[in-house]
Amino acid sequence: MGAAPAARDVTSYGMGLAAPLALFFLVFFVAPLLQLFWLSLHNDTAGLHWGLGQYLHFLTDPFSLGVLGSTLLLGAEVTAVCLVLGFPIAWLYQRVGPKLQTVIILIVLLPLLTSVVVRTFAWIVILGRQGIINATLQSLGLIDTPLKLLYTQFGVVIALAQVQMPLMTLPLITALGRIDPNLDDASCSLGAGSWRTFFRIVLPLSLPGVIAGCTLTYAASITAFITQSLIGGGQMLFMPMYLYQQASTLQNWPFAAAISIIFLLAVLAVVSVFTTLGRMSRGYGGA
Amino acid sequence: MIMNRRSLLTTALTLGAMKAFPGLSYAQARPLVFATFTGSWEEAHKAVLVPAFRKANADAAMVLDPMLSVDQIAKVNAAKANPPIDVMLHDPGPALVAVGQDLVEPYPVEKSAYYKDLIAEAQEPMGPAPFFQVVGLTYNPEAVKTPPTSWADLWKPEFKGRVGITNLNSTLGTGWLVEIAKMRGGSEANVDPGFKALEELKPNLAAVAANPGALATLFQQGQIDISPGNFNAIQILKARGVPVEFVAPKEGAIAFKTTIHIVKNSPNRELAFKLIEAALMPEVQTTLMNPPYLIVPTNSKVAMGGEIARVLAKDTAELKKKFVFQDWKKINEQRSAWIERFNREIKI
Repeated sequence: MGAAPAARDVTSYGMGLAAPLALFFLVFFVAPLLQLFWLSLHNDTAGLHWGLGQYLHFLTDPFSLGVLGSTLLLGAEVTAVCLVLGFPIAWLYQRVGPKLQTVIILIVLLPLLTSVVVRTFAWIVILGRQGIINATLQSLGLIDTPLKLLYTQFGVVIALAQVQMPLMTLPLITALGRIDPNLDDASCSLGAGSWRTFFRIVLPLSLPGVIAGCTLTYAASITAFITQSLIGGGQMLFMPMYLYQQASTLQNWPFAAAISIIFLLAVLAVVSVFTTLGRMSRGYGGA
Repeated sequence: MIMNRRSLLTTALTLGAMKAFPGLSYAQARPLVFATFTGSWEEAHKAVLVPAFRKANADAAMVLDPMLSVDQIAKVNAAKANPPIDVMLHDPGPALVAVGQDLVEPYPVEKSAYYKDLIAEAQEPMGPAPFFQVVGLTYNPEAVKTPPTSWADLWKPEFKGRVGITNLNSTLGTGWLVEIAKMRGGSEANVDPGFKALEELKPNLAAVAANPGALATLFQQGQIDISPGNFNAIQILKARGVPVEFVAPKEGAIAFKTTIHIVKNSPNRELAFKLIEAALMPEVQTTLMNPPYLIVPTNSKVAMGGEIARVLAKDTAELKKKFVFQDWKKINEQRSAWIERFNREIKI
């Protein structure tokens, strides 16, 4: 962009700077991943017989497919809750004074500063039979017997939504902050109501943030082993727990490896849907 | 750990030296490594077993490296010729896996001063059992006025929505299912009656916890009032003021042998033997039996006392009568199929 004449193109950098990290990833991420894939191509637990048996077992078994489906659905539910609850906060952030902005940022970041185990245990206290919700409802006389909240899909979604909320809110705040506030005024002065302004101007322009937030929240919530197992309990089986069971308790590493690869591919598919939407939205936002 | 420039430099130099002189391997010079379990086990071993061992062996250096059984097996498996662990501690299921994969040495029984004093069930030639873990009925005495006496009490209609169990990932969950199957005419080889009984238990089930630790916290939350539970875990909760009581059911409390093994190819074989001897010593077992540890001893020379004598057994003879030992060889054969079945059938 600069008008100064330059001997070389200053906007491009050598890839050398990325080499240390690239090497690190190659040794500690790509290599183990390949090893995992290699392991998954064996039909027996000792890893002696080659074959696609583990994949066939998973893909022809309605139970395993059910676990995969319910995990992907869980991610979608959590992402939806985070988006619906997180968007107003991000929107508000752009419209309040600097003092309130600090407060909002603090509230958004606070969960990140606490260990996920602590946050999850707090939810056990909140959702339990004698927890805050049940105690309040009972003292108000709204219910006679405590509601079952812990160890339900509802409980897992709510707890995960809170735990992962910052991953949604932060990209939204950034995206909304980049929108020129004059556009709002322009839209209003041209006769559009505030809802119409929101749907035609703010939402399309914030789509990159929405996509980024959704991708992060989705990936984090379907792999959240601790929250899923503590709030969901031992009978609600999601992919991370299924994997752990096969690898750790049963020592069936090839099947566990196949589960990981299938899970990885499923997540990649969902994430690539998000990124495709993101690319389309860029065209839309620019129009 | 604090990393300063000097320690970083030392580490780098050491690593470099080890690279340059491969003979200078860590294994020959390293202290004895004992992989105990995490949590209360680690505390008990740090406070009692380690000092006793060091006192008897001229302050020999040793390190506690607490980890789960499955991790111990994985680590030793990854470096069989030069294992990073010298002494392993195992629940009955993983112990058989370790023996089956040829990771442990037979215990030098003839050299041992204490092996012959262990009660018969604890005398395992591939690695003796220095402690028992005991599973019985746990209940909240504030909610359950008449103490339960049998596993069958869990099915009582008054406990509708108040019962907690764990899934079969844990030794506790699997052992309990086998016991339920036995109560209804099954065995280690046939747990069908156990699964049928679980089906009937569904109306009473408030929670299927992911692990025994999570089960214990459910008492704290009032989420459950009665469950199968581990004697030691309950004592810890009780000491923290949670209203829980442990009772051995009349069918017998389930006893798991916690066995201790010398790792094959250990560079510290002699010290490993000495550490295990210390764990079998009546003095060490007596200290570990007393509060706050309350670990059930296996040496018949230890006189039972305190809470263990009150709720479990007054002496070895009574212990043998009240404890039920299970055939984990048979259990391991079918365990994966049971876990699969539990995954599919138990939805509440």
